[in-house]
Amino acid sequence: MVRKDQSIIVLILILCIGLILMGCPKKTVVKEEPSVKKEDLSKLEAERAARERAEREARERELAKAREEAKAREEAKAREEAARKEFEKSLVAKKTPGIEGEVLESKLLKDIHFDFDKYDIRSGDAEILKENATWLKKFPNSKIQIEGHCDERGTNEYNLALGERRANSTKKYLISIGIAEDRISTISYGEEKPLDPSHNEEAWAKNRRAHFVILSK
Amino acid sequence: MLKHFFITLLLFPFFLPIVEARVYLDINTPTFIQIPIVLPKWKTVGNIPPSLLAKEGELTRYKEKVYEILVNDLKLSGFFRVIDYQNFPPQLQQREGIPHTLFLEEWMPAGGEILLAGETSFEPKGLNLNLKFHLFDLVEKKHLVGKQYEGHLQNLRNMVHRMTDEVILQLTGEKGVHNTKIAYAVQQGEGKEIFIADFDGANIKQITQNQSINISPVWSPDGKKIAFTSYLKRNPDLYLIDMDGKNLRRFSSYPGLNVSPSWSPDGKRIALMMGMEGKSDIYLIDANGGNPRKLTTKEHGHQDHGNEASPTWSPDGKQIAFVSDRSGSPQIYIMTWEGSNVRRLTYEGSYNTNPSWSPKGDRIVYCGRVGGRFNILTVAPDGTGLQKLTSNSGDNESPCWSPDGRYIAFSSNRTGGSKIYIMNANGFNQRPLTSSKGGESSPSWSIRFE
Repeated sequence: MVRKDQSIIVLILILCIGLILMGCPKKTVVKEEPSVKKEDLSKLEAERAARERAEREARERELAKAREEAKAREEAKAREEAARKEFEKSLVAKKTPGIEGEVLESKLLKDIHFDFDKYDIRSGDAEILKENATWLKKFPNSKIQIEGHCDERGTNEYNLALGERRANSTKKYLISIGIAEDRISTISYGEEKPLDPSHNEEAWAKNRRAHFVILSK
Repeated sequence: MLKHFFITLLLFPFFLPIVEARVYLDINTPTFIQIPIVLPKWKTVGNIPPSLLAKEGELTRYKEKVYEILVNDLKLSGFFRVIDYQNFPPQLQQREGIPHTLFLEEWMPAGGEILLAGETSFEPKGLNLNLKFHLFDLVEKKHLVGKQYEGHLQNLRNMVHRMTDEVILQLTGEKGVHNTKIAYAVQQGEGKEIFIADFDGANIKQITQNQSINISPVWSPDGKKIAFTSYLKRNPDLYLIDMDGKNLRRFSSYPGLNVSPSWSPDGKRIALMMGMEGKSDIYLIDANGGNPRKLTTKEHGHQDHGNEASPTWSPDGKQIAFVSDRSGSPQIYIMTWEGSNVRRLTYEGSYNTNPSWSPKGDRIVYCGRVGGRFNILTVAPDGTGLQKLTSNSGDNESPCWSPDGRYIAFSSNRTGGSKIYIMNANGFNQRPLTSSKGGESSPSWSIRFE
């Protein structure tokens, strides 16, 4: 008896589940559709508002950034201009008696120095050449001349050859860091134009140098 | 009577005892002993022109001048120990003029082996003078040579130089170089100018006057021009200028160095330093300055053979010695004049530059760094027989030969400033050319001017 009752309950349950499965979804969809649409709309609106706000903010940020960049550019330009002015101001015309033409010298273009009977660029002097190159890049149309000098020791003629070599190793280095070859000429003065005419180690070290002059701006 | 004898002697020189080819002084030995030479007072003979008598002291001045120049010339040659009349025994001090061969014995107490005596006579107008000398061998008691020279008073110095050259020919087998000049550079302010001076340091003349840097003068083979490098056009170009300072012309002006010309012995080509490729190389150009071609080209096994400097031709015209730092330090090398068969000459020391090939071809003089100082050395072209000619005397640089190869001129800072010095080829008898304070460099020796 109990088994029979159980079977009936199971049957009813199955029927019920079948009814639910067949009838319920239809009812639910119809009932709930309007409420979903409403929610989505407000959500989309909120999203759009957020997006617009974000876009506005981004635009504002970009504008601010552009303004900053423009300001930085302006400042850089001003700095550049100041540097140019500083460089221009540092130029001193130099006329040497008995030597044709006039050249410009700048204390901002620093000499480099060499060891006795050597013409290779010392590592510390390479840094000086990089600084010199920075100046030269600001004036891409200027033409420079590198003078190779020696100390008084050794014979005049061999020192002329050595000075030629010093000027040219300096030129090669400048070319390697981006200065156009056609902007650079060289001249060797050997031991004939000492910076310090004294006859001691200190003077000799000063005189073994490559010096820069500007032939045209 | 005595006067008559001398005139005969001059008119018929073939009556004189034949001069043997005896060489009294072999200067080729490494250490020669100077010949002691006796110089009695010079005598003035004949009439004295009124023009000279008029001015007080004028005549004495000329008499003394001849004697003075002669003593100086003989000393400068380095071949003689001059015994001048002030050092004679009293009985000989006031003796003047040319002694008779028969009475040479009287001169023995003076202490010399050779006697040089002479006299001066003046042309009536007093513009020209006549110098006569006789040379005697006191040991063998014989006459060696007698000559006379006539010329304008202004050429007195030159006439005495010629006389000295003749005495040197007689005693050493080759003429002296008293009628030569030396060109050199002199510091003036921040520039340098080219100067010339006689062998005895007289007649200093400034040749260039342009305030530029004018360096490394070299005489042209004809002795009429001087080549030098100048920065007049802001490049070390080679110029030529006449000995009188006129006619300056640019001769070689390739970009970079145009320095240190050396003419080939036939005068057709010039070897020089040029810097057309960013470093100094040895080039040949034609005598007119054109057609440059590089001699020092890349060899097998050499990546880059460095700086080349200071070419100098061998006197046979076949070879050129030069400086190169291809081994890492400057050394002297020799190659054929066409640039082949390069061989290294110097191995001692780490800095050998400025070679100059002797006129006879037997030696090469150069500047070498020994113990931190620069000195003058010579070596045979095969690398043997190295000799150091200077020591303990500052820095000595830029040596060059006299035309007879018996002297070397160089620069030295032994007394402070750099000055030109002259020494015998064996390093003896070093003396400054001029009495300047310094600033002199790069001597070059001319040919003989007759």
